[in-house]
Formats: sequence, C-alpha cells, structure tokens
Amino acid sequence: MTTETGARILVVDDEPQIRKLLKVTLKAHHFDVLEAETGEDGIYQASINHPDLIVLDLGLPDVSGMTVLNRIREWSRIPIIVLTAKDREADKIEALDGGADDYVTKPFGMGELVARIRVALRHSGNAQQEPVLRFGRLVIDLAQRLVELDGTRVKLTPTEYELLKVLASNAGKVITQRQLLQQVWGGHHHESDTHYLRIYIGHLRKKLEEDPTRPTFIETEPGIGYRFLLQEQAK
Amino acid sequence: MRSVEATVERRKKLALLPYAWITIGVAALSVVLHEFGFAFDAVNIALMYLFPVLFSAVYWGLVPSFYAAAAGVLAFDYFFVPPFLSFSVEDLRYLLSFAVYLAVAALTATLAARLKQQVKLSKEREAHTAALYSLSRQMAAVGEIKTLLENIALQVSVTVQAQIAIYMPDARSELARTAYSPGDHGFGEGESAMVIAKWTFEHGRMAGRGTETLGEFPGLFVPLRTEERTYGVLAVRADAGALSAESRHLLEAFGGLAATAIARVKLSEEAKLAQLTAESERIRTALLDSVSHELRTPLATVIGSATGLIDGEDVFSSDDRRELLVTIRDGALRMNRLVTNLLGMVKLESGMLALRRDWVDAEDMIGVVLSQVRGFVGERRIEVRIQEPTPYFPGDEVLLEQVLVNVVSNAIKYSPDGSEVVIAVRQSGSWVRISVADNGIGIGEEDRERIFDKFYRGPGSNGTTGTGLGLAICKGIVEAHGGTITAAPRAERGTVVTVALPAGKPELPEGWQREEEEQQ
Repeated sequence: MTTETGARILVVDDEPQIRKLLKVTLKAHHFDVLEAETGEDGIYQASINHPDLIVLDLGLPDVSGMTVLNRIREWSRIPIIVLTAKDREADKIEALDGGADDYVTKPFGMGELVARIRVALRHSGNAQQEPVLRFGRLVIDLAQRLVELDGTRVKLTPTEYELLKVLASNAGKVITQRQLLQQVWGGHHHESDTHYLRIYIGHLRKKLEEDPTRPTFIETEPGIGYRFLLQEQAK
Repeated sequence: MRSVEATVERRKKLALLPYAWITIGVAALSVVLHEFGFAFDAVNIALMYLFPVLFSAVYWGLVPSFYAAAAGVLAFDYFFVPPFLSFSVEDLRYLLSFAVYLAVAALTATLAARLKQQVKLSKEREAHTAALYSLSRQMAAVGEIKTLLENIALQVSVTVQAQIAIYMPDARSELARTAYSPGDHGFGEGESAMVIAKWTFEHGRMAGRGTETLGEFPGLFVPLRTEERTYGVLAVRADAGALSAESRHLLEAFGGLAATAIARVKLSEEAKLAQLTAESERIRTALLDSVSHELRTPLATVIGSATGLIDGEDVFSSDDRRELLVTIRDGALRMNRLVTNLLGMVKLESGMLALRRDWVDAEDMIGVVLSQVRGFVGERRIEVRIQEPTPYFPGDEVLLEQVLVNVVSNAIKYSPDGSEVVIAVRQSGSWVRISVADNGIGIGEEDRERIFDKFYRGPGSNGTTGTGLGLAICKGIVEAHGGTITAAPRAERGTVVTVALPAGKPELPEGWQREEEEQQ
C-alpha cells in the first residue's frame, strides 16, 4: 500500500463540489492531487505535469470526456479511470474500448474509487508480463500453458485457456466483451458472438469456481464485460 | 365523366348483344332441324323452337324472349310449314298452332323473367345486408370518431353509389359538415342543405327527396339516431330519379347503425377520459406523497447530521461522529434509490427503454444479483438452486438483473433476520421460471395483483421504506420481454415471486464443443 502513496493524480471534472471531495479524500489517502476544470486544460496538464493516473469525468463543458480520452491515448498509457454520471452501458463500453482502464459511476463510494485507483496504479507498475501468475489458490503458468487450482491441474480447452489468460493478465481491470472477442477469437468475430463468450465463461467458472453464482475469480460487469478479480477484490 | 359515358356506350352495345345471339341461335337451330327435320313431325319441331325463348327469358329478360318467340314462329313457318321455304301457309290449322306456340312462349317467358327479377332483387337485398354487416363490423373496430365517420361516409357512398355528407354538432353545438365521401364535390355545403340538415337533426325524421318534407330537394337527409338521441345527419345526393324504397330502407338502417357506433365511441371516449383523469389524479397524489416523504426524510437526516457535525465539532466522540456519518451515507443512498426508481419509471413510460436482446446465462445473472444485494443481506441466508444444464434465455441482461435485484431486495426487506431466501431457476417447456421465495410476512390475497401497480404500498409495508415503484418497474421490464411476473403465497410462510420468461436455445455451430475437446 505504501508503494502508491505520493502518486500524482489528475482530476478532470467541471463540478467544483466533486473536485473538492476528491481532493480532500485523495489527499487524506496520501495522493498528490492536480485539478482541471475543462477537457482542454486536462489534456494540457496531462502532457506537462506527468500525472501517474487520471480520473476523468465524461460530461465536460468544452470537449467531451471521450475526446480527452482519445487525445491522451494518442501518446500516453497513463491509467485513466472514467468517472461518469451516465449509466448507459453504451457509454461505459465506449470509454473502455477507447482505452480507459476502469470506470466508476456517480454517485460513487469513495472507498471503491480509492480501491480502483490503487489497482490501476499497481497494474501500470508491473506491465511487463510475469511468466507465472498467482491468484491465491489459482496459478497460471503462461510459459507452460498450465493452470493449477489448489495444486491440481485444471484441464481447459484452448479457447478457455486463452480467455483465462487475457482476463488474468489484465487482473483488476474490466475487459469489454468486444476486447475479449478480439483478443481470443481474433479479427473474425461477430458482435452477435457474445453468447459464445457467455458459454465459455460459464464453463470456465464451472471448472474454477467453488460456487459459480458467487464467483471469486471472474466477475461479470453487467452488459459490459468481465473482470478478473484480484484476490483483495474478491469478498 | 368520360368513364361514365364510356360505360353507357358499352351498355348500349351490350343491350344489342342478346338479339344477335338469338338470331344466330334460331338460324343455327333451323339449319340443324332442317337437316334432320323430316324425321320429326311439326309438333316436335315447334317445341324445339321454345328453347331459345326459355333461354333468353332466363338470361336476358322479357323483351329478348319475345323477340326469340317471333323469330321462332317465322323460322318454323318458313322452313317446316308447307309450302316449305315460304311464309305462306297451306293448311290454315297451322295458324292455330302458331297462336298456341306464341301463347306458351309468352307465358313461359313472363314466368322466367319474373323469376329472374326476383333473383336480382334478392341478390340486391343480400348485397345490402352484406354492406350493413361489413359496415357494422368495420365500425366495431374503430375507436375514434373522426375515423369512424370517414369510414361510414366511404362505405355508404360505395354501397348506394352516391355522394355522401355527414353532419355532426361541433364544439359549440352548431351542426357542421364533418365528413364526406371521397372525391368530395362539395355536396351538402350549401345554405339550403344546412337548413334541411338542421331540420332533420332537430326533428329526428328523414327529409328531402321523396319524403313529406321538401320532397323536391336533390338530396335525402337521414337522421343518425338511436332511441335516446340524434347524433348527427347523413345526407345522400339523389337528384336524378328518387331513390328506390329499398335504398331508403337501407339508408335508414345505415343511419341507425352509424348512430349506435357513434354512441359507443363517444361513451368509451368519455369513460377513458374519466379513467385517465382518475388515474393521473391518483398518481399525482401518490407521487407527491412519496416524494415529499421519501425524499424529505433522508434529506432531513442528511442535513441534520451534517450541520450537527459542522457546528458541534468538539462535542461528539469519534463513535458519535461515525454514527452521524453513517446516517448521512444511508440517507443519501435512500435518496439515490428513489431517484433511480423515478428515472426508471420515466424511461419505461416514455418508451425510452430499448431492449437489447442477447443470450442471458441464468447462473451468471444470479451471480451479479447476489453481488449487488450483498450489502444488505444481513443475517439472512440466500440459497440458489439452478437446474442443470443452466438455462439460457434471450433478453436484456442488465434490465433483467435490475428486476431480480428488486425482487430479491424485497424478499430480504420483508423477511426476518436468520431466515432463508431461496432463488430457483428451472426451465419447463418454453418458459424459464425464476422464483424468489422468502419467509416473510406474506402478501394478502387482495394485494397480490396490486403490488405491481405504481406507487402501491401494501398495508404490511408500514415501517419499511420505499416508493412502491420497484415492482411496477419490474413488471414493465418483464412484460417488455414477453414474460410475466406473479406473486403467490409460499407453502409454509412467506411469499414466492415468480418471473417467467420465454426460453430459447442459443444457436451454436455443430460440434463446436467436441472440436475443442479433441484439440486438447
């Protein structure tokens, strides 16, 4: 937890109330906070102040949050968490597909936002892939293509393995259905193929989870995609 | 007009056609009889000549059949009465035969023609009955006055082949021409027509062409009346030649029928309006009650706690401060629920809710629901029973999750600590049923339907917070999926809410799973 303190966070939001709330709380959690009221200012500050993470509101007065996101993604991989009052899945999916790392909807719990910020910061820290991923009882050996649960080998089909690999190497992040289809099935997938995804995820859960209705590894983000839970996120 | 002239021209040609056919027929018959003629005797030959007469009586009427009789006599005389091939008659007794032949021909022709006339009449009556029937059926399907009147105008003008105008009292109770037959020629717009229409409306009796009142006026005015009152006037243009008695009866029948239909639509419109007013009144009251209570209560606690914390910074112990902060959070969460529900209702009612049809995995969905209600399960246990293989069904997973979260939250809210909530999913035939059973206080029989109404709060819900919108939204969403949501008492104690949704089978390419396993 100490590794993230001192990280610099840029808050791009036009609401003074929200900025104030974020500033006070994030400072209390020992983060440095930068503020931007407009999208243009946000892009400017992101380029000169080198923040470690950006919290970005989608509804901005000058340019849309999506534009800000796209413009920053042209030159930077800084983790971006989208903060939005829009509760339509389409908006969240657009933001995630556009390169956002996570999203939080307003009204939000401060604890949740701070936890997401920590995950995103950690994720950007060790972007280089480890050959072996460990998540509590689950071990994924990427070099040998082996999956072990409680020390016993789990037999997965090639597609199930690919799916698990993509999710686990992005642990803590939401992966949209489209991103999954693209990374596992490649270019030749169809929007309507999402039900394959559902069925494969169902199979994976049956093989990995003790109780598939109370998943501890793969969580569904309704209407958006899936998130591989870091073990501190699983309750 | 050109088409009318063309029709008349064609009719004239058609009118000459029977005579040509009769001439040809008689000539042909004469040729045939002449070839074999000497095998028959004169009486048989005379009888043969009755055929064209009967035939033309049945098909063309009286005059052509007389023509056929005359042609028959002449041909008989010329070919078969000695001296042959001459009109003179050797034996004068043949004149008697001619007379008898003509008499028989005339009699049969008259009979046949009368029969034909009767057939024509009854066909006409049948057509009228059919017209009345189709009008009445059409009118029963129409629920709006304007469309109804247009329908009547069209139907009547087609049936009686004349221009039509319909007068109805307007908003100021002034009679006005409100509907007319298609291709309007301005019939019934004149001042005199208006006066007669008014007279007909006030007296409820027919006027105009062929009646006692203003019998010379080129139009017939029929009141649209039921037994209680007159609703309007139907005017038919009839300038050349009075309408037949048959048509007048038909128009009278149309009038009665139209009046009944208008009365029905008017009554149903009034009833709808009354119901709408009552409903909107009820919703307004409920909304005000709900908003003023549900919004003000948490607002009061939030403001109270916050100001307490600001003003008396040093009086509170850290436990007290925490307590107040939790109150603030809970109050805000409660307001958020209310706002979410109100927004959901608005979306649902304004038709903004667009369904995304995708395959929903029941197990996955229940997993999400459980994680959403985790916060307020308390001491209750939630048991999940899902049939194997896990049912899939088409639907909008996000909306359906909202439905289940609502239903499960209710089950938790109304059942005591330490009790059990059972969520079961099973497929039976073409339905997937998701039921949520609790051990709570149960719902009275009279409330089982009404709990899905907007703003309805059951009498047992005293003390629990809520707006009575959640289940109404659930119902809206489930019905948009073509499903049903019902509440029933549970065998031992509590309630079972069941959501039934149409099942389906996701299409997967043949052997997709087997290929996978083989590759391993």
